[in-house]
Amino acid sequence: MKPIPERFRVAKKTLLFDKFMNNFIVVGGLGIILAVFGIFIFILAEIIPLFDKAEVKQSTVFEAKLPANRVIGLGVDEWCELPVAILDDASLLYTDLLGTRGTFEKKLPLDASDKLTCVNYVARKQELIVGTNDGRVAVAELKYATNFLPSGQRVIEPDVQLGEMYPVLDAKTAVTLADFGGKSESQLILAVGTTNGKQIVKGVTLKQKRSLFGKGKVEVDTDYDFSNQVKGTVKDIDVSIFGESFMLTMEDGTLQFFAKEGETFPLRQIIKPFESFADKEIVKGEYLLGDATFVVSNKNGDIIGYSSYLAKGAKNIQFAHTKTFEKIPGVLKHFTSCLRNKAFLIAGEKYASIRYGTTEDTRWEKKLDFDIQSIALSGKYEKMLFMDSEGRLHKYDITDHHPESGFQAFFGKIWYEGQPEADYIWQSTGGTDDFEPKLSLIPLIIGSLKGTFYALLFAVPISLIAALYTSQFVTPDVKRIVKPTVEIMASLPSVVLGFLAALWLAPIVDRQVPSFLLMIIVVPTIVLFFGWLWQQFPVYIRVKLPVGMEFAIAIPLIFLGCYLCTLIGPEVEKIFFVVTDPTTGKKVADFRLWWPETMGIPYTQRNALVVGFVMGFAVIPIIFTISEDAMSNVPKSLRSGSLALGASRWQTAINIVLPTAAAGIFSAVMIGFGRAVGETMIVVMATGNTAVMDMNIFSGMRTLSANTAVEIPEAPQHSTLYRGLFLGAMVLFLITFAVNTIAEVMRQKLRERYKTVE
Amino acid sequence: MNKESIKSDRPKGEVAVWFSSLGLSLSLILIIGLVSMIFYNGILVFWPDQVVMLEFQKGKGQDVKGSNFIAGEITKQQSKIIKDLNVKLDGLAAQEWQLHVGNKDAYGFSYKFFDMQHLVKESYPQDIILAERNEYGSAIFFAKYLQLKNGDKLNKDDPKFETTLKELTQECKARRKDILQIEKFEIGKINSKIEDIRLEVRALQRKGSNPEIEAKIHSFDAEIKFLQKGYEDLAAKSRVLREKQNENTLHAEIVTGEPMILPVGNIYSFYYPNRLSTVDKISIFTKHFAEFFTEDPREANTEGGIFPAIFGTFVMTLLMSLAVTPFGVVAAIYLREYAKQGFLVRAVRVAVNNLAGVPSIVFGIFGLGFFVYLVGGTLDEIFFSLSLPTPTFGTGGIIWAALTLALMTVPVVIVATEEALSAVSRGMREGSLACGASKWQTIQNIILPASAPGILTGLILAMARGAGEVAPLMLVGVVKLAPELPIDGVAPFVHLERKFMHLGFHIYDLGFQSPDSEAAIPMVFATTFLLIMLVVALNLGAIIIRNRLRKKYQASTF
Repeated sequence: MKPIPERFRVAKKTLLFDKFMNNFIVVGGLGIILAVFGIFIFILAEIIPLFDKAEVKQSTVFEAKLPANRVIGLGVDEWCELPVAILDDASLLYTDLLGTRGTFEKKLPLDASDKLTCVNYVARKQELIVGTNDGRVAVAELKYATNFLPSGQRVIEPDVQLGEMYPVLDAKTAVTLADFGGKSESQLILAVGTTNGKQIVKGVTLKQKRSLFGKGKVEVDTDYDFSNQVKGTVKDIDVSIFGESFMLTMEDGTLQFFAKEGETFPLRQIIKPFESFADKEIVKGEYLLGDATFVVSNKNGDIIGYSSYLAKGAKNIQFAHTKTFEKIPGVLKHFTSCLRNKAFLIAGEKYASIRYGTTEDTRWEKKLDFDIQSIALSGKYEKMLFMDSEGRLHKYDITDHHPESGFQAFFGKIWYEGQPEADYIWQSTGGTDDFEPKLSLIPLIIGSLKGTFYALLFAVPISLIAALYTSQFVTPDVKRIVKPTVEIMASLPSVVLGFLAALWLAPIVDRQVPSFLLMIIVVPTIVLFFGWLWQQFPVYIRVKLPVGMEFAIAIPLIFLGCYLCTLIGPEVEKIFFVVTDPTTGKKVADFRLWWPETMGIPYTQRNALVVGFVMGFAVIPIIFTISEDAMSNVPKSLRSGSLALGASRWQTAINIVLPTAAAGIFSAVMIGFGRAVGETMIVVMATGNTAVMDMNIFSGMRTLSANTAVEIPEAPQHSTLYRGLFLGAMVLFLITFAVNTIAEVMRQKLRERYKTVE
Repeated sequence: MNKESIKSDRPKGEVAVWFSSLGLSLSLILIIGLVSMIFYNGILVFWPDQVVMLEFQKGKGQDVKGSNFIAGEITKQQSKIIKDLNVKLDGLAAQEWQLHVGNKDAYGFSYKFFDMQHLVKESYPQDIILAERNEYGSAIFFAKYLQLKNGDKLNKDDPKFETTLKELTQECKARRKDILQIEKFEIGKINSKIEDIRLEVRALQRKGSNPEIEAKIHSFDAEIKFLQKGYEDLAAKSRVLREKQNENTLHAEIVTGEPMILPVGNIYSFYYPNRLSTVDKISIFTKHFAEFFTEDPREANTEGGIFPAIFGTFVMTLLMSLAVTPFGVVAAIYLREYAKQGFLVRAVRVAVNNLAGVPSIVFGIFGLGFFVYLVGGTLDEIFFSLSLPTPTFGTGGIIWAALTLALMTVPVVIVATEEALSAVSRGMREGSLACGASKWQTIQNIILPASAPGILTGLILAMARGAGEVAPLMLVGVVKLAPELPIDGVAPFVHLERKFMHLGFHIYDLGFQSPDSEAAIPMVFATTFLLIMLVVALNLGAIIIRNRLRKKYQASTF
């Protein structure tokens, strides 16, 4: 083979470089495109854990050899390292799960003369309440002390403090049930006993004296006798954590709720939870964290929750059936609520399950391979402990980062504690530890749609007729100036629009609402009237106005209309919008007072009208440009044909151009929708950012985008709120992406259609 | 003329055409009205107004601190909204005026509406003074005398009064600069050195303890002591200078009759607002304008300049452009020149297009989660583990803001570049290939230069969008007041991890987070004016380039 002549040969360097660049571009290009779509993946990855269930793993089985039939309750420390089994004689059996101490016993420092007839361990308060045969009750706090060895190792020591014995019942009556609740100022001990076949229910309130030297002695304040108020036989008692109310579980399947009112504890409500169920008897009842929800179950495994709330206009709280949980197989015998959130652990026979109070969600459920005799849940919601009938302790690890989340939490209607009805609410943070985060995205989605709706209500008509006029009637020379001018509007930063809306426009509109409402009617009427009048002029006057310059005449007409409205507005207000000022009793003409009084919905200065107007301002140029393009690209042959057949320019525009460009116009509106739905700064600045669910034009809203901007700086990384906000962002992403894709597909269809016509 | 012909020159739907002109007129009014409103208000901020003195009837609710006199610049004149059906007012009595009365330390407010119904007299006193101070905003007063440090008193009628006061304020201004130099730069330098040493000490301590390390730590301790000594010297120096600022005092009386004593060091500048000629006004206007561009903000951002915000916006936009250009161009070249044009590429193109329509806040939250927490957090763990738990890169910073915005604007650049690439005529490509150029040579030498203006257009549009965007920045590194600029004289000169100020966020912050929003409004308008000018200029530039480009292509087709 002959060698290729020098002049045809390519330098090796060139070839190499070419090859390198080609590969670089392919790899780089693909990489960048993938990276851009990585946004979607990343956001998705942040969301997925929200829908995970709890993960529970068995960690150890400990042969503690506890006397299983004598254990009445299990208590644990924060880390579940030193559980305690409470026996029926109030002795405490601690088991060291990590160290070498094994099982050791600790007794309450009781007098030898004290004959215990009641031992009640309340896990949610970590309190052991003991009652004697002579009607006295004492409270022991089962605390733990954490010490650190020099090596840095943690050692947990039991720290049991027994309180004083308070006489609650009379000296001849043995205490059969007792409970305690409260802190310093108001504390309540409640006890039940029987004398001569008669049930006695009594309570004492305690008060801690305050002195200059800190907390003083706790003294008995008042005695109460509830024996006559209580109807039926008491099965169980639960005093709330603040000691201001208590719930009695009765043998006949009712709950009786007593709450403090001044110095008395009247019976407030009798609840029949299982009235409509097959089995009406209550097996177990307990409060969840915060003591606002009381969960009860019956023998069939039905579990329902009652939450307290304040009905509209009512003075006192009451309970209503708010939650229905999934049934558990087997008779539920054990119940313990979590100290950190609204989760609770239930168990019966071999079944154990973790439920979440707010969402009614089953976080975890399993049939274990032993009979469950007692259960405990660690304070951090990280470990749980079961005792089987052989006295063995089974320790399990719980991994559940987002117990309060789930589909129901974000999109479902939930009856939250303290609310009068089931509702969609967004309220992510509250003042107290037992606050229930309310994470419904529905009000935010509604808010986004509300803002978008009013923006489009304003923008779509204006931009579409502007596009129609510009594309059909304006001469090319004028169009070359007019179109970029309108397009510049699109480049105005939204923070500028938001600032103007909130600090400039909102106060102006607020001063003269009727004038602005009038403008919507008056301005078009004036222009229409002038158009009609112009048509009455003879043709030689009319030709003096160059074709397509009507808009120049319309500008002063609009000013005139607006000026007229500011004149008429106050007069109209004096006729139609007169109300009696509630503060002075005088009759005043004020739309801002008239609206809430007549319509029953609020009026705020930063409202949807202002937002709609300004957001519309941001959307107008987008809809205008795209639909103008669609209309002016309608094949000339179609227009010429129509005009040649004698149709007027308006008839051509309406009957030929509009239908042909319909797809393009639709896509323009869609893209406008996409822009408005995700607009952030205008909404953050020009609305009150309260999450509301109405479409009232004179109130604000909270949109998905504004919510994200406002809340994410406060959300700790990987918290439920953080991921919830990512979920909101994802919803926004999907809405806009879907809308834009539809628009894009429509536009391509349109392009093809134009091609075939030409 | 018969009836038919009359009908024929009144074509159907002309009234409707008039109606449809409404949309365009309204849009034009809105855009032009808005821009001119901002322009007017933004410019007005720098223009020195006259100061009006008003006398009201006593005891009619218009009294300020027991006096029925008030003086200030008129900021708003509007007719009162009278809701009561029985009250009728006309003329001046139906008006209310908003005055900028200054003297916030004396009055407790600096802006207030006054009901003109009870006005007695309106006057413009010649010797009233408006002074800008370094705290409590400006002061409006009548001067009495100047108490000099040598014990002399200079009466306000003394011919030397005005010039002396001017000289003294100039002197104080120079001294203020010195103080700033010491407190901000020199002390700042020492602080950063001490911080560096502390980190090194911590690194050594982590290694464990042996005599050698102990000795080193000891030497570091000595060094820190030495630096601290230097710090104390500087602090003492600045204290002396500060005391000097208060040596001369101006004794004055405000319009309510209350006395006012102003250390000259507190006065930035002063003028007699009612004596100004047009030339004076223009010179004050220019001075205000220049200060606005070059100075740091004062008084919770409501006074002074916005230089850090301008600089921050500039640096952030520049970094964003640096990131977005290569990425956007490479992706576009791939899509247009390399990828096989089929359904998949079409789908990718549609998706990229749509990404431009995804709300900016979504990019913001992504930037926070990915760049700040994930990438920044990882960087911190690897390179800055010593200063943890104080994050270095694991918190918002200018680099993350730039990258987030780059990601947000990359679709804009891709779309524009693709358009430009596809506009390069087939003839030119084939010509190049036919001459024996390789594919890359064709792209490099023929296609890219030809499409450069198009790419530039895309880039400018991206910059305009990036410069005006605020929502995502709020999540990834913008702050209301950044003491240090992202680029400065301290090594390594470019501090990508620093937080920064931004014009758009400045507007939001001033208007909505400011304790005195009324006092902030002039500044907001001025900033808005600047931002709009910037963005509109960028957009106009893009439009002009695009139009030139079109002409060029029309000419260069074979």
